[in-house]
Amino acid sequence: MAILATCDLGYRYPDGTVAVKGVEIDVEAGKKTAFVGKNGSGKSTLFLLLNGTLKPNNGEIIFHGRPLEYDSRSLRELRRKIGIVFQNPDDQIFAPTVQQDVAFGPTNLGFSSEEVERSVNHALEYVGLAHLRDKPPHHLSGGEKKRVAIAGVIAMEPEVIILDEPLSNLDPVGADEIMDMLGELNHFNKTIIISTHDVDLAYGWSDYVYLMSDSRVIGEGTPDQVFSDPELLRKAGLRQPTTLEIYHEIERRGLAAGDRAPINVPELVDALKPPDLIWVRVPPETRKGDALNLGVMYGDYAHNCPYEAVNATVLHIHADGQAIVEMRRKGIRAGCIMIYDMGGYEPGEFQKIMTDYEIDAVGAMGKKSKKIAERDGIYLDVASGVIDKSILLALSGKRCLIITNGGMVGHALKRIRDYVEKSGIAINVGMIGAREG
Amino acid sequence: MRNLLDDYALISPLRYRNIWLKLSVVAFGLIIGVSSVSPVTPLFIALSMGFATVFFGKTPPKFYLALLLAPLGFAIAGSIVILFFFGSGSEVFSFEVFGYRLTANAGGLEMAVLVISRTLGGMSCMFFLALSTPMIELFSVLKRSRIPDSVIELSMLIYRYIFLFLDVAICIKYAQTVRLGYTGLRRSLYSIAMLASTLFIRSYEQGEKLYIAMNSRCYDGKLTLLDTKRPIRVSEAVLTSVYAIITIALFVR
Repeated sequence: MAILATCDLGYRYPDGTVAVKGVEIDVEAGKKTAFVGKNGSGKSTLFLLLNGTLKPNNGEIIFHGRPLEYDSRSLRELRRKIGIVFQNPDDQIFAPTVQQDVAFGPTNLGFSSEEVERSVNHALEYVGLAHLRDKPPHHLSGGEKKRVAIAGVIAMEPEVIILDEPLSNLDPVGADEIMDMLGELNHFNKTIIISTHDVDLAYGWSDYVYLMSDSRVIGEGTPDQVFSDPELLRKAGLRQPTTLEIYHEIERRGLAAGDRAPINVPELVDALKPPDLIWVRVPPETRKGDALNLGVMYGDYAHNCPYEAVNATVLHIHADGQAIVEMRRKGIRAGCIMIYDMGGYEPGEFQKIMTDYEIDAVGAMGKKSKKIAERDGIYLDVASGVIDKSILLALSGKRCLIITNGGMVGHALKRIRDYVEKSGIAINVGMIGAREG
Repeated sequence: MRNLLDDYALISPLRYRNIWLKLSVVAFGLIIGVSSVSPVTPLFIALSMGFATVFFGKTPPKFYLALLLAPLGFAIAGSIVILFFFGSGSEVFSFEVFGYRLTANAGGLEMAVLVISRTLGGMSCMFFLALSTPMIELFSVLKRSRIPDSVIELSMLIYRYIFLFLDVAICIKYAQTVRLGYTGLRRSLYSIAMLASTLFIRSYEQGEKLYIAMNSRCYDGKLTLLDTKRPIRVSEAVLTSVYAIITIALFVR
């Protein structure tokens, strides 16, 4: 069901510049939607229209099936349900301390002081900034400011969260944390709308994409539909996502096969055709048709991926003792991904899990878990893109542990299970620790 | 890039102590210090406040001394004048400069010492407050003292934007400097004028953005002031009382 829609929306700035023209969108509830377009394509203006800051010259905005009115009561109601996070957090944070800024929204909603305090605590805890509550904003880093801005919106408990360029000016790890947080919010049924010009982000993250160019929506659809159309991308002034570009190139060379375009690195890896035929140096007495046991393949044949190749068939004997061999491979040790809820963290139990389960790599999601890991000297092999990296490690036989907390536990489980279902590759996934089940 | 008193106050452990206690300690010190006729009381106050600021407040001693040096410089300059031109009584010492005879007498000397000690006492009280209480803690005091809400809210916004514009100004200045905007007086004047006008336009734009930001979070004319309760601990009360008793004893002596 569409929660937010527009109908022939148009806006012209007082100086005559057309910023939005004939825009029709249907944003579904509980989905992740991305507006993608180059700078100046009208994304920011559209967002200001969507939360009622600007009034359209023509067309209308429909929220929950009802056209938007512009009297102050309806606007208040709208802004309570649609939170917006600006591109530059300095434009948004105006109170002298972090705590007071986050409290601003809830106070305006008329919460009692206990309720305000509770929602502020919750929001700050959620973005992992509870320890900075008394700091003035000018003592925070860019990433921290961004999280304060998001906390200020979360504290109002909106149904829809709109973020204008959420990753601008963030370092890769900081950007990853924000995206994990958005994934978690979405997991709790919040509708998330972002604008970006980062095609890789929009391609891998969103459920639905609108391409914008010259104040109009010029294309829409699921990410693989939109980004597989080179003509559309050229019109929008954008390039293809890297994952998709690599996929198309290897597909053209006959090295990949798949019925759908991969959206992230694990899916890209799945699309690769394993080499069935390889060159092997064989003993002189080997004949065509013989079965060879190659044992566990390491090194030159398979870097970092122990495969057992038993009963490979020799197809052709070449000069100098070389032969072409057809392989039937199977993984010798199934990798797994375990998820540990840091909400019930206990150092002794954690160490026991590390040794009992022979964990090869640990990854942390969320600021809180990272903090605990740092405090207790838990070495993190993976600190960004945790879910994707863990899947890749598990595919090559490693045993991974993801430490995380709160809603990210469910979010991570769901993403990995989705992968298992889509790819048909059985990776063992599960929760461990005191909070099991 | 910047080195503000407020920044030191923000990291001071004394920040989290009861603000009314701090204010009364400072007010007490100021009143007693200024009305004292003997230099001993203000000096004792200066010593105690300085100790509290450096030891409890963890202000770097070097920074603290440098801070004290400025008012002390003025006080000493003033005291020299007092020493030679005021007071009466027996002559302490005298010397001749360009044919003038400068004489310092006992009364003048006493007064000069008193002026210096009062300056030290007063300044150390003010620095204690400035280095232990950041502006953001003072807003709740303003609120309690029944200053109109709009004035307080305005000052909260101004406080936030001072730092924003300070950063903008530093960036613009830097951008101008790297393109040789400050070589020579003429160019410097031109550059600083440009900086000022840009800053003005920026602040105007920022005002518009502020309005949008507040509106999109349902602004209805209220900014919150979360009053955090910080009860006075027994140890603090005891320490303050001991300090007050000694000071009063010195005062009435």
